[in-house]
Amino acid sequence: MIELFLVFLVFGLLGVVLVFMNKLLGPKKPNPIKESPFECGSPYLQEGINPVPIMYYMVAFLFLLFDIEVVFFFPWALVFKEMGSTALVIMFAYIFVLVVGFVYAWKKGAFKWEL
Amino acid sequence: MNSFWALSPLLLVVLAALVVLLLEVFLKKETKDYLAYLSSLFLAGCGIILMIFWDKNYSYFDGNFLLDNLALVFSLLLTLATILVILISIKYISLQGANYGEYYALLLFALSGMLIMVSSQSLLIIFLGLEILSISSYSLAGLRRENPESSEAAIKYFLLGSFATAFLVYGLALMYGSTHSLEISSIIRFLTTGTHLNLMLLVGLGLIIIGFAFKIALVPFHMWTPDVYQGSPTPVTAFFSVGPKVVGFAVLLRIFHFYWETAFHTQTLMTALWVISVLTMVVGNLIALRQTNVKRILAYSSIAHAGYLLIALIAQDPTSLIFYLAVYLFMNIGAFTAVTSLGRKGKEYVELNDYSGIGFKYPWIGATFAVFLFSLAGFPPTGGFLAKFFVFASAVRKGFTPLVIIAVIASLISVFYYLRIIVTMYMKEPSPSMQILTRNPVLFSVLFLCLYGVLQLGIYPGNVLGFIRQAVAAMPLL
Repeated sequence: MIELFLVFLVFGLLGVVLVFMNKLLGPKKPNPIKESPFECGSPYLQEGINPVPIMYYMVAFLFLLFDIEVVFFFPWALVFKEMGSTALVIMFAYIFVLVVGFVYAWKKGAFKWEL
Repeated sequence: MNSFWALSPLLLVVLAALVVLLLEVFLKKETKDYLAYLSSLFLAGCGIILMIFWDKNYSYFDGNFLLDNLALVFSLLLTLATILVILISIKYISLQGANYGEYYALLLFALSGMLIMVSSQSLLIIFLGLEILSISSYSLAGLRRENPESSEAAIKYFLLGSFATAFLVYGLALMYGSTHSLEISSIIRFLTTGTHLNLMLLVGLGLIIIGFAFKIALVPFHMWTPDVYQGSPTPVTAFFSVGPKVVGFAVLLRIFHFYWETAFHTQTLMTALWVISVLTMVVGNLIALRQTNVKRILAYSSIAHAGYLLIALIAQDPTSLIFYLAVYLFMNIGAFTAVTSLGRKGKEYVELNDYSGIGFKYPWIGATFAVFLFSLAGFPPTGGFLAKFFVFASAVRKGFTPLVIIAVIASLISVFYYLRIIVTMYMKEPSPSMQILTRNPVLFSVLFLCLYGVLQLGIYPGNVLGFIRQAVAAMPLL
């Protein structure tokens, strides 16, 4: 146990040391172009970070909603016969929560692609 | 007793959240006041159910979800805190550009996560509750979307919070690896029968402590606290300063209350908690001295209070821990209510200079705020004094005198910055430009309710202490 711990400790420390050695020993000749986030030789056209449309994330969220729903259906279908009505009640409760999420997203206009 | 009814408080809260979400999208009203009243109504119902369940010990999911008296006391505290926070946000969210109906739904979801945490016996389910709480909290912190500070708070809270969660999960994995169970009772049973010291278990416990230390803002895991408290909408800050702290200590209490009596009781963890407690009190109070933003002062004060609460955990005195949490709920929500009230459309007064002369300009806000600050500093006859007194007394009885001496010195330091606010409120000329919205009856009733709570717990704590003692006596062992 201790040996394993020591191995992790030594190699972990080695990693940290190597990262910082680079910073300590390497030559440093900074200039403004080098410091800029995108170093490509030419001055950049616009400043800072602009807001990006989040439509793609919206699609990802909704995909998660429906995808996870289906994933949970499979094990449910397998045990349905043994569990009987309890399984039905549980699944309806689950679907109810998902439907509320779906209706909420719909009414909020998450399905409209235009901004 | 195994009964489906054990789930009813939780289901009621989730149902309330879903109803609020649906009403928000279908009715599309300009003012969201009705949503706040509706959610408070649901929560009041939940509180009544919790009171009916007293002494009934309902459980469900094979005992994994157990509403024992301890869970009931914590659930009641959390429900009360959420109701108060909902009521003080009614005017605030429309004034400060966070007027979304989802606000209340998120608060209710966070509450449901906390209810799961305090009443669950399995660490994995506790982790699930923690995630529900955290994800709602991240969005609540960033709810003032036009405000860059609020977005900063959300992103900081999200990054550091998920980092802390990773620690917690790693701890749980190590714990499972060494004890083959994640149920608190079987872990304790394993520890009592264990024969040799297990390094993996110790590291796991340490990582679990770190995970929760992030949530309850113990030094050195407190870095996110001031920024998040400053950037979040003020009622949400009140919620953050009370809710996660109460559940964090509830879970730590459940894990550690019996830990000290087991065969694995090592000095290492005790020393670690001792050092964390000292650091939390000293660092929290010292940094608070230099702050000029009232929300940041209160943030550091809440860090310091986490240190005092940890003393109760170290001294193994659950009664005074819960009593301290109850008092802390009233005084901290009260103080943040006073801060919330000082604002008008698009403007919040949170700098110390803004508070000059408030005591005379708005006598009720000034006077109640002063009482809450006295209570936070620990002056009699407020609840803050008794809470500190009980904690320190039981720590001295258990032989932690050096710790108590440091705690007393730390709370003496804290008097300075609490009094600084009061001095600014009463001994400086009011600035003529300061103008706030005073027609806010709901907020004022919350202010007076908190005042009542602080004084009741400070002057006549017998009833509440009796309830807490009963709850602690019924703590399930093994």
